Amino acid sequence: MSDIPAPEAVDPIVLPGATPDRLTDRIAAIALRERAFLWWWIALIPSGALTITLFVAIIYLFYTGIGVWGVTWPGMWGFAILEYVWWIAIAAGGTFISALFYLMRVEWRAAINRIAETMTMFGIACAGLMPILHLGRPYLFYWLYPYPSTMQVWPQFRSPLLWDFVCIQVYLIASGLFWYLGMLPDLAGVRDRAQTRSKQVLYGILAMGFRGSGTQWRHFKRTYAVLAAVMAPMICSVHSVVGLDFAGANTVGWHSTQYPPFFIFGAFLSGFAMVLLLIVPLRRLMRLERFITGRYLDVMCRVLLTSSLFLGYSYMMDAFTTYYSADKAEITMYNARVWTIYSLAYWGKLFCNILVPQLFWFKRIRTSPVMIILICVTVIFGMWYERYELVVMSLFRPHLPSSWGDFSGTVWDYLTLFGTVGFFVFGILLTIRVIPVISMHEVRELMEKRQ
Amino acid sequence: MTWLAAFASEGELKQAAGELRAQEFPVETYTPKPLEEAPSSPVPIVIFIAGMVGLIGGFVAQTYANTWSWPLNAGGRPPISWPSYIVIAFELGILFAVCAGFFGFLIACRMPRLYEKVDECPAFRSASRDGWLLTVGGDPLLSRRALERLRPLLIEEVPQ
Repeated sequence: MSDIPAPEAVDPIVLPGATPDRLTDRIAAIALRERAFLWWWIALIPSGALTITLFVAIIYLFYTGIGVWGVTWPGMWGFAILEYVWWIAIAAGGTFISALFYLMRVEWRAAINRIAETMTMFGIACAGLMPILHLGRPYLFYWLYPYPSTMQVWPQFRSPLLWDFVCIQVYLIASGLFWYLGMLPDLAGVRDRAQTRSKQVLYGILAMGFRGSGTQWRHFKRTYAVLAAVMAPMICSVHSVVGLDFAGANTVGWHSTQYPPFFIFGAFLSGFAMVLLLIVPLRRLMRLERFITGRYLDVMCRVLLTSSLFLGYSYMMDAFTTYYSADKAEITMYNARVWTIYSLAYWGKLFCNILVPQLFWFKRIRTSPVMIILICVTVIFGMWYERYELVVMSLFRPHLPSSWGDFSGTVWDYLTLFGTVGFFVFGILLTIRVIPVISMHEVRELMEKRQ
Repeated sequence: MTWLAAFASEGELKQAAGELRAQEFPVETYTPKPLEEAPSSPVPIVIFIAGMVGLIGGFVAQTYANTWSWPLNAGGRPPISWPSYIVIAFELGILFAVCAGFFGFLIACRMPRLYEKVDECPAFRSASRDGWLLTVGGDPLLSRRALERLRPLLIEEVPQ
């Protein structure tokens, strides 16, 4: 559509000419396309190849054992756990948008909600994979469930690691149901536009008989609102528990009460960065500029900037509490973080997560797709750096100097990392091929309010 | 016999539905977005009860497992170290609440129901796009006359 101007911060929430019928036809047409977009194939092939790489890396890991990774005593957490934290933080961004901002009744979430939630689903999938791979004996993971066994013992419910195991599963199930519930009216919209028998049957089954009747909307509206109110504290609890995984142990650098909020701030930042990374190209490639306007980009960038300032506060407190504690082990470890072997990761995280997002103070940059993509990629890298130095430094600079060591990832570590990135993109591509990518019923309500 | 009628706007539909209901015809509306009226539903109460069951049940189950069935005391904490049971209890409360919300919604709406007679009407498909529709049951002649007075865009017969 050449008549679409470049995004502006002052854009309305939907561009003029975007009416409920055009919205429905456009979104349904995307889902019902006979042939996929060319860019879709171009993106699918490398991400599919990386997905295969991930499975090869997993099979090799299962066949050979944890030794293929760079983890070694005392640094037993390595890449798997840092990537777990990285992915779960990225996933959290979608839930913040779909649940937290729903409760705040902000208007700039409706059109990006579906893409953000889809991102959440695959973020959790990548995150949830990591601890299982890291178990060493992955086939015994079910020992974490409390089931009556002949050994007569139960899991240790006082351990943050078990809390985390529960959190991840609750998060996956709850996000999946919330995502699907919100999608029912839109699946019905696609069903009613479908021309071929097979698609009518497919979307008919997926929509489960949603017809937009008064009864259905009445229950839907209440249920969705209440579930959003349930999901919002849940996502904060999930990420706090990830923080407690670290804070619960008496490990140098981790044993701090600021970890739960610190991790939530990190989740804000990386989650919003990934949402922007998805919506900026998709709005153009799928021609959704009328519905995902410059206003969305502007607001999301402001939110990202705010999260970056939150995170900066946490980094500052991290340094402050370390030096204020006068604990020799803490100070030694912190000095090592800042000035020695992994100082690149330390300064890299400050540069990527705090300094670079400050560019979003400029309105020009907040609506420039190229700049948004560059900054968000930097942030995603920066968040990975942050977890790297967090995990590696604390584990290799424990209280006992005789245990100090050095860490580097092996080729299998990196193949697993890139493999999950591929799997994430692959999953999102397959999903947005068939689902309605914009929450149509919410945007229809938005359009009405605007008129 | 049931009639399906389309109206031009949400306001007209709401007015028509109100008048038909006042004449005691069974009316169901079909709209692309929720009508602006105070929604009432029993599902939130079900969600609350299920959440509480999950919360309390989760807490009791953990206390049973780690304190009574097999006292597992690592770290010298008191036998019922309740603060460390809160997190899983909370998460189970959330899990129960969300499942109750999803499945409660389906049950409250009698879903999944893949076929209804109204699906046969060609005009019905616009209900998920930009159409404002309603169906009227009751006595076919009286309801038809009442509908025509309301000046709908079209009236179709819902097949028996």
